Amino acid sequence: MNNTVFELENISYKYKNDLILNKINLKINSGEKIALLGKSGSGKTTLISVLNGTIRPTQGKVKLFNESFEELDRKQKSKITTIWQDLRLIEDLSAEQNVNCGLLAENNFYFAFKNLLNISSFKKAHKYMKLCRLHNSIYDKKIRKLSGGQKQRVAIARSLIQESNILLADEPFNNLDPKLITTIKNLLLENVDKNKTKKSPKTALVALHRLDLLKDFDKVIGIRDGKIFFNIKRNNLKKIHLEKIY
Amino acid sequence: MNKLKLNYTSLSFLPILVCIPLGYQLVNNIHFGGFKLFQEFLISAFNPKIDNEIIITVIKRLNETILIGFFSWLVSIIFGAIFGIISSNIFYKIFNIPNFFYRIIRFFLTIIRSIHEVVWGIILMQIYGINFSIGIIAICIPYIAVNSKVFAEQLETIDYKSFESINQINAPKFSSLLTLIWNPIINTFKNFGLYRLECSIRSTVILGLFGIGGIGTSIFLSFQTLNFRELWTYLWSLAILIILSGLIFKKIKFNTTNKILSIFFIAVFFITILFSFSYFLYFIFNNNFENFNSVSSLFKSSSDLGLFDFLKLILETIILTLLSTGIAISLPPLVIGIFNNNSSKIFIKSFAFLLRLIPTPVILLTLLTFNNPSLSLAALTLGLHNAGITSKLLFTNLDSQDKRNYIAMKSLGISKKTSWLLGLFSQQAKSYLAYCAYRSDIIIRETAIVGVIGSVGLGWQLQESLSSFAWQEVTLVLIAYSSIAIVGELINGKIKNSLT
Ligand SMILES: Nc1ncnc2c1ncn2[C@@H]1O[C@H](COP(=O)(O)OP(=O)(O)OP(=O)(O)O)[C@@H](O)[C@H]1O
Ligand SMILES: [Mg+2]
Repeated sequence: MNNTVFELENISYKYKNDLILNKINLKINSGEKIALLGKSGSGKTTLISVLNGTIRPTQGKVKLFNESFEELDRKQKSKITTIWQDLRLIEDLSAEQNVNCGLLAENNFYFAFKNLLNISSFKKAHKYMKLCRLHNSIYDKKIRKLSGGQKQRVAIARSLIQESNILLADEPFNNLDPKLITTIKNLLLENVDKNKTKKSPKTALVALHRLDLLKDFDKVIGIRDGKIFFNIKRNNLKKIHLEKIY
Repeated sequence: MNKLKLNYTSLSFLPILVCIPLGYQLVNNIHFGGFKLFQEFLISAFNPKIDNEIIITVIKRLNETILIGFFSWLVSIIFGAIFGIISSNIFYKIFNIPNFFYRIIRFFLTIIRSIHEVVWGIILMQIYGINFSIGIIAICIPYIAVNSKVFAEQLETIDYKSFESINQINAPKFSSLLTLIWNPIINTFKNFGLYRLECSIRSTVILGLFGIGGIGTSIFLSFQTLNFRELWTYLWSLAILIILSGLIFKKIKFNTTNKILSIFFIAVFFITILFSFSYFLYFIFNNNFENFNSVSSLFKSSSDLGLFDFLKLILETIILTLLSTGIAISLPPLVIGIFNNNSSKIFIKSFAFLLRLIPTPVILLTLLTFNNPSLSLAALTLGLHNAGITSKLLFTNLDSQDKRNYIAMKSLGISKKTSWLLGLFSQQAKSYLAYCAYRSDIIIRETAIVGVIGSVGLGWQLQESLSSFAWQEVTLVLIAYSSIAIVGELINGKIKNSLT
């Protein structure tokens, strides 16, 4: 019943002489909500970049839906959405334009053009910005003029608008106040039924630093020095596990 | 012991030493017969000829200049942007094209850029005869290449991470490309567009001196007939044109939130491209070559140019470049520093404006009234004109700089000149030198103009070879020009890198 979404076989990533990811084997099944733990510099961001195809591993194979990543076409790759730790918004565009960038994959060139000219429809973008508790007044503001938390939520809205069921999120709760964190967490983990006929559950891998947020996840992966130390059900998580990785 | 320390400040002043050999040759070449003419030239500046007849001529000539200047600007900025995109890193990353092509395109553009529009103009005129559209084409060829470099440099500033994130969304490649380059392109247009328009107008004027038409032709004719009052009417009207175009350009708002305006700009964009292409095709298929029968004539014509002469010309061109660059670097800070008070400032600013306004060939011809043609005279001309340009930049930067250091030093009782040097200029020196390095790239190309008129270097040889239809020599001279310009650009690139 469980379909595999991601499968990593013996993944290593070397940068110059540093082994940043070290022989990682990992299977992520459809519908799993996974928290990725590990101290700063342990390789969380690198792992996420390998999963979304931004970084090509030095060794090993990445499979998405049981197919090698390189062989997938653009449409299939675009089923993954990423929230980056450093957000990676386009600073000179407005908030709504940035959110609309999430729609580039499913639209044609003309849409991109209209988006830049500010003559496209922002209805959907506004809907998701509203869900992220972003106020009307910042919709057409340039990214460089927003506060840290606002930028964070624009990046989240850009990811949500993709209505994708595979989410990779790198510390998405940075810069958010406690109330916002709950809202955003629910938004990120809730299922998206874009085409209601074939409902697929949401798969999420979220890199985290805050242990109090773990309770909504069903699995926890601990990573240290580029190696997976544990990959267990959240219920089985013990103090000793955490001591190993921190 | 007071040792001269080499830092950015002293490096900005040292090149003034070129004035020693330069002054020596100039003094030796002076002849007093023409001083009266020179005097007349200066006095006429305050007494330009104004009557109905000349005003009609001015308007007619200015129209031509505006037409050539504006169209060559429009075409060269649009195609410059396009070539800038296809010679930028980001294009190759998005489309996964091997870097090999990138190098080829860049090299090709560097070669085209290394040859001054006047040289292109003279060659095209020789081939196709004097023709209005030759002016536009001659300006467009090097300008497209120059603009493409400006655009490509701005596109290199795109954050690699935003590229990765757009790439990860897996949008159609053209959508990703457009989204990433949109702002850098628009900002480049906003920041450099006006400056490039001014350059286009100046180039049109200079080409006019060589007969293409427009106000430049009138300027040249009135100089030849020593009609200085008329000359100044043309020069002042040119000044008004340049100032006005600046004011208008600043008034236009390039914000992309206005739908009608956006649609207008896009229409202009596509119409220009379509028009240029169709014109280009028309031009290729519909022109009878006057003197240029076939490519094979490139190789047939014999050359009297010995290797030794050729090397001498190259050397002359290099020396000419170095001398004029020296003046362009050191003269502005020296003059501004020494005459550091408000009334001198106005005077220096207007003088610099005149140096920018008067086309270099006219400056040279004026100086020729009391000096024999020599390399130093050509260098002085080119140096002064470019000093007009570098001093404008220096003034702008100094005016916008934080003056607290300077004021603090003055209140400590340090002399005004020393405080200016240590408190104001020293902080600008580095960026000023970096700009001068960039400027010297341009000076190398401009040696062609003064060369043709002042009979020095490769520019002069080019003129000679062209008028005797020795195409092989022309090719040789062009290769030499390109090589000097490319080597110069490489050296300057190194200097700029170490300065920033
Ligand atoms: N672009 C890069 N070039 C070289 N080394 C890198 C690069 N990015 C990351 N690293 C190195 O790889 C290791 C893992 O980095 P990574 O960003 O994956 O850690 P992380 O777990 O995400 O840390 P944090 O919690 O601080 O975000 C670190 O030692 C880092 O220095
Ligand atoms: Mg990280």
